[in-house]
Amino acid sequence: MSIDSIPVRVMAIEQVAPMIREFKLEAIEGRLPAFSPGSHVQVIMPGASREIRNAYSLCGDPATPRRYSIAVRLQDVSRGGSSFMHGQVNVGDQLAITPPANLFAPVMTARKHLLIAGGVGITPFMSYIPELKRKGADFELHYLYRSSQTGAYLDQLQQQLGSALHRYDSVQGNKCDLTAVLSGQGPGTHVYICGPESLIDGVRSTAAALGWPDSLIHFEAFAAPEPGEPFKAQLTHSGKTVDVAADESLLEALEREGVKVPNLCRAGVCGQCRTAVLEGDVEHRDDFLSNDERSSGSCIMPCVSRAAGKHLTLDL
Amino acid sequence: MQIDPSIKSRPTYTPPELVATAGLQLFVSESDAEHLLEPLYRQCAESGAQWLVAEPGNAPGTLADSLSGYLQHILNDAPVTTRLYVAGSEGFLWDIRNQALSAGLVDEQIQLAPPISSARRLFCTHCYTLMEGVTASPHTCTGCGRLLLVRDHFARLHGAYVGVQINAEDPDEQPEQEVLQ
Repeated sequence: MSIDSIPVRVMAIEQVAPMIREFKLEAIEGRLPAFSPGSHVQVIMPGASREIRNAYSLCGDPATPRRYSIAVRLQDVSRGGSSFMHGQVNVGDQLAITPPANLFAPVMTARKHLLIAGGVGITPFMSYIPELKRKGADFELHYLYRSSQTGAYLDQLQQQLGSALHRYDSVQGNKCDLTAVLSGQGPGTHVYICGPESLIDGVRSTAAALGWPDSLIHFEAFAAPEPGEPFKAQLTHSGKTVDVAADESLLEALEREGVKVPNLCRAGVCGQCRTAVLEGDVEHRDDFLSNDERSSGSCIMPCVSRAAGKHLTLDL
Repeated sequence: MQIDPSIKSRPTYTPPELVATAGLQLFVSESDAEHLLEPLYRQCAESGAQWLVAEPGNAPGTLADSLSGYLQHILNDAPVTTRLYVAGSEGFLWDIRNQALSAGLVDEQIQLAPPISSARRLFCTHCYTLMEGVTASPHTCTGCGRLLLVRDHFARLHGAYVGVQINAEDPDEQPEQEVLQ
């Protein structure tokens, strides 16, 4: 049996950066499940017109899973999730979350870990660091932020890490020279990136140009599904027709209509929500499917991808 | 007895290709397999390439000490962008690969050329003896004397194929020997 959701209570809310708020969550009944470094949960929020689910990394120490912490950045263009968390959630409120899942675990056999965080992308590393320190692992944190908006947990990190913390505040004009960071590393060094797509792309292309093997580069994007044109999804098994609005994902529209599709990351990377397409062209926006699978047009990742035309027929 | 030729653990090999972006091009071969790496080595700038050559016929499961020590020395100071190309007998390929993994390399960085012969290293599952140069099955174990069926199941840890007694029910039975592919 799988657990769909866990009711939790908001114990505390703290502004940890100008645009980032941290929420401490405790179980209403029993204990929260244990989690591993790099895990995330989805927070299930009642939006204005539909339920919104956003994935957030757990940013506490995995050794003390009695309470969870998540940090939410208020997005400039919010689809409702971050503005709900910032504007409407108060201490004592009840929220529903999914059990933790992990798509971004550290490779504990690595000789050295290079952590690269952009803005609120510091969050998964807040669960890595206590574990890496316990194991006596060799690691460095390169933290890129804009102190006018982000830069959460800096004091705490400075205290814990000392010279292993490298800070780059773009407001002060501090740039991170990725070539310098990635050069001169020894065998068995693994790189982990969490941040905006531009940072992930920058690190990956710099590493590739320097000759790094792909399997040493790990990344987690926190992109919400981009909006697109509205379209209709025809479901062959249930006979339903689902209207997908411009600002919602196909997955969200299916869930609104009570159609269950397994999912974990809601960002096009984990592969859980893969759905067979029987008719219609797909605009693929995921990082999961192979090029062959994309060009065959036989499947879609509904958490991020959409119809290229006005309709899709799905094997659901 | 027929063994499925598509057994999953049996490695497949393709000729190595040079990865031009490597920070260190490291070649390791047995002396009778040099021709497999020579064309790649010639494409490299001299400054960024090193080649270690071993005499063939190293002891089962252990590299010649001098080569192993020298390889370790290089790997300790190697950049993360190192690419390793290996040629020789099958057991040798996997010994080098295993040593590289323990130094932190990942399989993506290591290319093993097709082995120079179909002779196998054999691991006896009864007494754990490793034997080199096995070309036919069944094969008598040099450790415990059992007659071993040489399976296609390959143990990467040992760089060896697995041997199990073929006539456990009736040790007097002597099945006909077949040449291994």
